[in-house]
Amino acid sequence: MPSFAVVAPIAIPLLAAAAVAAFRLGRVAAAVGAWGSAIALVAVWLPVRSSLELILGQLGYGSSLDLRIDAVTFAFGLMITIPAAVLLTLQPRAWQETALSLLGVAAAMSAVEAGGVVLTAIAGSTAATLALVYLQTEDPGAPRPTWGLLLAGWLALAWVGVILQVGGGTAVYTAVPVSTVTVPVFIVLAASAVLVSCLFPWRAWPAQLWTRPSLRAAGITVATLYPLGFYILVRAYELGAGRYPSIAFNVLLALTGVAIAVACAARAQAAPSRREFFAEVVPGFGGFALTAIALGTPLSLVSGLVTLASASALVACLALLPDRAGVAPLVAIAAAIGLPPGIVFASRVIGIEAAFEAGELIGLIGLAGAAVWALWVVAGARATGLPGGRGHPLVETFPRVSTAIAAGTVVAGPAVAVFQLGFANPAAAEVMESAAGSLAGGATSVATESSVLPAVTLLVPLLLVAAIAYVGTSMKAIQTQARPAIFPLPAREWLRQARALVSSLAVPDQYRTILNVGELEAAATGARPWLWLTALVALGFAVTR
Amino acid sequence: MPPESVEVLVFAAVALVLTAVFAEPASPRRGLVVKGGVGLAGSAAIVTVPTFDIALLVLLMVGFLQAVIGGVRPFEVRLRPVVLAVALTAAGLVFARATGPEVLARFGAVGLGAGLAAMIGLLPYIHVFEGDEPVAPSPFAWLAFLGPVVATVFVARTQQELTADAWAAFGAILIGLGFLNLVWGSLATWLATSTAAAWRYSFIADWGLALCAFGLTVIDGRRAALLVLFSVTLCRLPLYLLWRHAAGERPVKDRPVNLVVAAALAGSAPFAGFAARLLLLRAATQVFWPLALVLALGMLLWLPGSLRLGRGVALPRGRQVAAVVVVLAVNAAAGLYPLPLLSAARL
Amino acid sequence: MLEASAGFIAWLGASLVVVADGRRGLALGVATSALGMAGIAWQAAGPAAALALAAGGALAAAGRLRSGAPGWRIAPPGSTPRIVLCIGAALVASWVGLVVTSGGGAGLRFAAVVALVLAPARILWSDDPDVQLSAVAVLALGAGAASAMGPSTAQPWSYVAAGLVAAAAGWLPVRPEVRDAA
Repeated sequence: MPSFAVVAPIAIPLLAAAAVAAFRLGRVAAAVGAWGSAIALVAVWLPVRSSLELILGQLGYGSSLDLRIDAVTFAFGLMITIPAAVLLTLQPRAWQETALSLLGVAAAMSAVEAGGVVLTAIAGSTAATLALVYLQTEDPGAPRPTWGLLLAGWLALAWVGVILQVGGGTAVYTAVPVSTVTVPVFIVLAASAVLVSCLFPWRAWPAQLWTRPSLRAAGITVATLYPLGFYILVRAYELGAGRYPSIAFNVLLALTGVAIAVACAARAQAAPSRREFFAEVVPGFGGFALTAIALGTPLSLVSGLVTLASASALVACLALLPDRAGVAPLVAIAAAIGLPPGIVFASRVIGIEAAFEAGELIGLIGLAGAAVWALWVVAGARATGLPGGRGHPLVETFPRVSTAIAAGTVVAGPAVAVFQLGFANPAAAEVMESAAGSLAGGATSVATESSVLPAVTLLVPLLLVAAIAYVGTSMKAIQTQARPAIFPLPAREWLRQARALVSSLAVPDQYRTILNVGELEAAATGARPWLWLTALVALGFAVTR
Repeated sequence: MPPESVEVLVFAAVALVLTAVFAEPASPRRGLVVKGGVGLAGSAAIVTVPTFDIALLVLLMVGFLQAVIGGVRPFEVRLRPVVLAVALTAAGLVFARATGPEVLARFGAVGLGAGLAAMIGLLPYIHVFEGDEPVAPSPFAWLAFLGPVVATVFVARTQQELTADAWAAFGAILIGLGFLNLVWGSLATWLATSTAAAWRYSFIADWGLALCAFGLTVIDGRRAALLVLFSVTLCRLPLYLLWRHAAGERPVKDRPVNLVVAAALAGSAPFAGFAARLLLLRAATQVFWPLALVLALGMLLWLPGSLRLGRGVALPRGRQVAAVVVVLAVNAAAGLYPLPLLSAARL
Repeated sequence: MLEASAGFIAWLGASLVVVADGRRGLALGVATSALGMAGIAWQAAGPAAALALAAGGALAAAGRLRSGAPGWRIAPPGSTPRIVLCIGAALVASWVGLVVTSGGGAGLRFAAVVALVLAPARILWSDDPDVQLSAVAVLALGAGAASAMGPSTAQPWSYVAAGLVAAAAGWLPVRPEVRDAA
């Protein structure tokens, strides 16, 4: 395979975007661009199944144009391109929106194909900018990510890149000296990852976007931007030769993931509509994935990657889901809460087992994960009877495709071992080379340190039981109505009180004239000689200290 | 001739050509080209003359001519900053060249640093501003057109004049002034009552970055400065002119063009501003890493102001569409692949 | 001795520009200052440099006679602060030229500091364009004379440039404020 082929997954959507802009093309061009990117990725990776790299010389900021397709790129590339391709193929868009979407896909692909931290930062920041432009273009009044938050994340990652360049001579993932990845550098790195995907327990853009009336831009944005923070955390293992610089980071990030999953589950169980429930699904998956990735064992990393892949499938599913009741939301809920024998169920089982095997405090994190999962199941059960929500235009919904995707994730449960073998294990082996030998099992079972999960023999019967249960259940039993929350959310009240407190704060009248910004500006901009002279004296004083 | 100065001069020439080609009304275009051409010739002279002293005298002449051509502000108000700048710089040169205690050279650095700030119109030597003044006689001529060339010449020549100790002091002065302008400019862009003033402050904020970059005195700092000046001359200036041309029209809020313009102004990727910030962080990390942290936090201040400016831009029409496309494309290209620009400046 | 005299004459001329408000007073100040600077330049860079400064100053002075308030108006009522400024500048320039700095060319340093302090001070505190342009001429001459402290490769071009700027300051017309320019 010629190394130049690594450009294809980026170039194809770019060319498609150019064609769309030039000739005002529609869905066909969009589909060609997005599917072309996914197919190119598969076509480049599968024949060789090892890293393929293209280095084209310096760009001007200490980084060469270094593009690489390896197992991690493959995994994240598919997580980005496939949901985007599904949405671009089906949903009607204006040509401007199509072009922006394709550019976003290309930028996100560049971020995961970038060979170094700096290039990832530039490409990721571009993807974020494009996503914001798209969201604002589609509906200026609807919720969207805070630009400052996203830029802060990517700027922080860029800073990490330059620190690595200055300290170790390079920011290329495979070449960074391990000693350069110190605790302070990792703090910035982790912060950037958290900001990029907005991995916070409170309700942030990954949830808010799903409450927009139209989900065209939201779907593309979540598909292209949300995985990138996790990508950074996975690559961080590669930078640190298979581990984070301190175990404290593993624990802290894992606890953050649990906190996110708990918060999302808590909000989901109190959601007033199914739409609101679904809004918490992807961030909830993010919480579980963060916990699994942060645990720091190859098996947990595999679990995290499978969780993220499931989440990306659900992104497409939810963006195509109509607000009205029916089979489609029911299957989507089943997929979202990790009902057995779905792949979500299997990945969570593996993740929790990996946590227990990691031992001590991390074992407790596994326990917390199990409890949160139970809460999700309860929330999902409640959501089946909630009102659907309003606003999602019918023209951009495809219930059958949505159902097929959701059902696919449920049916794929028994195939988790195959999925793990072909998709997640190579990625984990890529970033944790030293510990990769512990990844065992085959196409039918997942081997952990202490046991073997016979995926096919255990989950196929479960699948049959689930199918029989579904056939034997009448949809008419579901009453659509507003339902009370299972437990109230105290945080909302605290938040309201805090806001009221902050808004009631005021400077006492007698102090208000201490600093008058207008007068300060007038003094600074008045071109007064005494100010110039004072500044000169101050500068002279400063340089003689 | 410092190669980076020559390159910045080319940026200014391209900006002038862009303005001449894409400006809508005929008569202001002619005036702008004539006045801009004179300014460009003056800038070329500043770059090409053999010594700092002659450059300074040419600068005085250019400033004098700018004050003479008229404008909204009174003549004396237009003339004062230039005279102050030349006097400060000349005094700085006298102190830097005189034989005496080391502190004298540091005072020389103060004169040169303050002179540079005064020439461009940066805090604390900010020029008096009138929102409705034509571009050529206004402070924008220094902030966006003449200033970039002057600054590169100043810094390159200053390095030859100062001792190592005084050069370090000069760098510290530039960083201090740069950070002051960065914070003030970006906050004022956001909070200023008039949009014209907001544009002026946005240039000042960019200059804050440029001064910090010059002050870092490592090669990455100079690279960052070059890209910031590129961004000032070939992004902010044309977009400002676009805003001026359409100042009477009702802006179309939150169309893609508004946000893309805001992104370009804010220094988001993939535009040249992001590459400049990247190089600035790199330079600051090499010199003193907490400075990089402070700068990174300061860079976030660009966003609110840039959104404001971006939203004020009306939908381009006719030739303006081509101008906006060219400006954004050139900036994106320079942001993604700045090496040709840096190589041409031998950086 | 010649250098000291030239420095004194330069200070006298610059001081005249500071204390005078009439066109004749200003022209005399510019011419005197140019004479002093030319003397300094002769010593530092030869006759060509001196000639350039002297010619520039003479042209500036001649141009100044064309416009501005009529008469001499040297030290009109209320000029005490200006006189104090001139004396203060002379003291500071002497201290800098003789005490703080060392080596030859004390007169040059004195004249340069005097011109670089008095001319901007006059411009900052005056709103009269004719007064300001006279001060610009003095500033240009001072900056040109100070170039003798720099590299010698460009001489006498820096003096020629200074003379040209000074002459331009005397002859270029000042347009009133306009709002319709480009």
